[in-house]
Amino acid sequence: MSGRSLSWLRIRSVARRHAYVLRRGPHRLFDVTVWPVVDVLLFGSIGAFVSRQPGVGHTAYGYLLTGIVLWHVVYQSQIALSTGVLEETWSRHILSLMVTPMTEIEYAAGVALFGLVKLALGVGLVALVAALAFAFNVTTLGWGLVPVMVILLVTGWVISLFVIGCMFRFGNGAEALTWGVLFAVLPLSGVFYPVSALPALVRPIALVLPTTHAFDAGRALVDGRGMQWDQIIIAALSTVAFGLLAVGFLARMMKIFRRRGYISRYT
Amino acid sequence: MQELLRAHQLVKDFRGTRAVDGVDFALHEGERLGLLGPNGAGKTTTLFMLLGIIEPDAGWVEVAGHRMPKGRSEAMMNIGFSAGYMPLPDRLRVSELLRMYGELYGMADPRPQIEAGLERFHISHLGRAMGNELSSGQRTLVGIVKATLHRPKVLVLDEPTASLDPDVALQVREGLAELCGEGRMSLLITSHNMREIESLCDRVIFLSAGRVVADNAPRAVAEQFGRGDLEGVFLQLAADKLLIPRSQETDRPAS
Repeated sequence: MSGRSLSWLRIRSVARRHAYVLRRGPHRLFDVTVWPVVDVLLFGSIGAFVSRQPGVGHTAYGYLLTGIVLWHVVYQSQIALSTGVLEETWSRHILSLMVTPMTEIEYAAGVALFGLVKLALGVGLVALVAALAFAFNVTTLGWGLVPVMVILLVTGWVISLFVIGCMFRFGNGAEALTWGVLFAVLPLSGVFYPVSALPALVRPIALVLPTTHAFDAGRALVDGRGMQWDQIIIAALSTVAFGLLAVGFLARMMKIFRRRGYISRYT
Repeated sequence: MQELLRAHQLVKDFRGTRAVDGVDFALHEGERLGLLGPNGAGKTTTLFMLLGIIEPDAGWVEVAGHRMPKGRSEAMMNIGFSAGYMPLPDRLRVSELLRMYGELYGMADPRPQIEAGLERFHISHLGRAMGNELSSGQRTLVGIVKATLHRPKVLVLDEPTASLDPDVALQVREGLAELCGEGRMSLLITSHNMREIESLCDRVIFLSAGRVVADNAPRAVAEQFGRGDLEGVFLQLAADKLLIPRSQETDRPAS
């Protein structure tokens, strides 16, 4: 077998390795069980409270719960890929992997593949708790959710590529970005509100993010305004642009990693 | 003999300090080469450049005709690597780890090779053990099995027997000799155990301050330095190193 051809065998092997990690490290389930439940309880309760106030419609409730379900698509896809790489640094396993014929793309594909399982668990749980605790069924929003979720899934991976690049460049100190970067993306993306609700100063930043347009399309579904294809197209183009930037950034960071011998951090 | 690995004029600086300075050698089919030198001589940096993990500032590396870094993936199909300081990843049983690595090297069903590898080093009973439960000796043996599953043309070992009990180190040496004797697999090994190198290798390269200072059969190198054995050569180079100012000492790359 050629070392260069993209190998399904390698991708599957990496995915299986991470399945073992999740199965044997129950604390790793926090990201796909505890936080989703906490988030949906928090935002569902806020929504329930706000919607009972005089003059406030039931829509606020839908915004919050749809927002948190969709946010977990970004969150889970980003966290799954980033913590997959982190797992190798915690296990001091990077060196072993880097001396195999596996390419960086195959490794990322393997981790992302298993990340889809974690994403299904996490988002499924959020949707389930929203249905059971708040009688909110996200699937009533229809098939329009599919393109929104696909964009959010890919955006999560794109954010993760930036985070992984920083980890290779700056070492363990950049680990905090795995969770921290999402706290910056969350408010800027207008997960629960339109961009017009943001301070004018940060609106231009929000408008270039793919997530902003995807969440906007999601809110349109809540309002019953139908699919906003223009927002989806802008979001898709923005995702591609950020994706290309992320790949270039990661390649650059890997080059610096190899040039400066940063592998010694993990041996 | 076919040239399997070529290091051409490798140079590497870390923060203004030259760690490797024009290292140039070839490894041929079936050859067993020891890469030796005192701490900080540039052995590990050289190995990491050969493996494509560190990019040389000058020079190039070719493995089985594949030039790095472009042909890294193809080159790595021909290399197996293990080091005494490499832990096994958490939360994987030995058999699961070996299956994973077999698949990374393109083997659809590596079970026969896994069984044979574990048997060779008399550790078949460890298949179900978790990687992080093993002793350092057992980890080393599993690491070598992992590195040789795909029958590489070149086996690269960095300090494989460091901190091992003599009986386990002997087990490692016997297994390696058997492996190399069976096929035409070449061996590139670093070690601080000169007797081990004398028993395993038919050629040694001594590095000092990042430069090749000797490249020959073990006995010829000892004679070149007017010493009875490699241990004497090592001690002389280590003593010479003491004369080098600390600022010029080289070691593994700075973190």
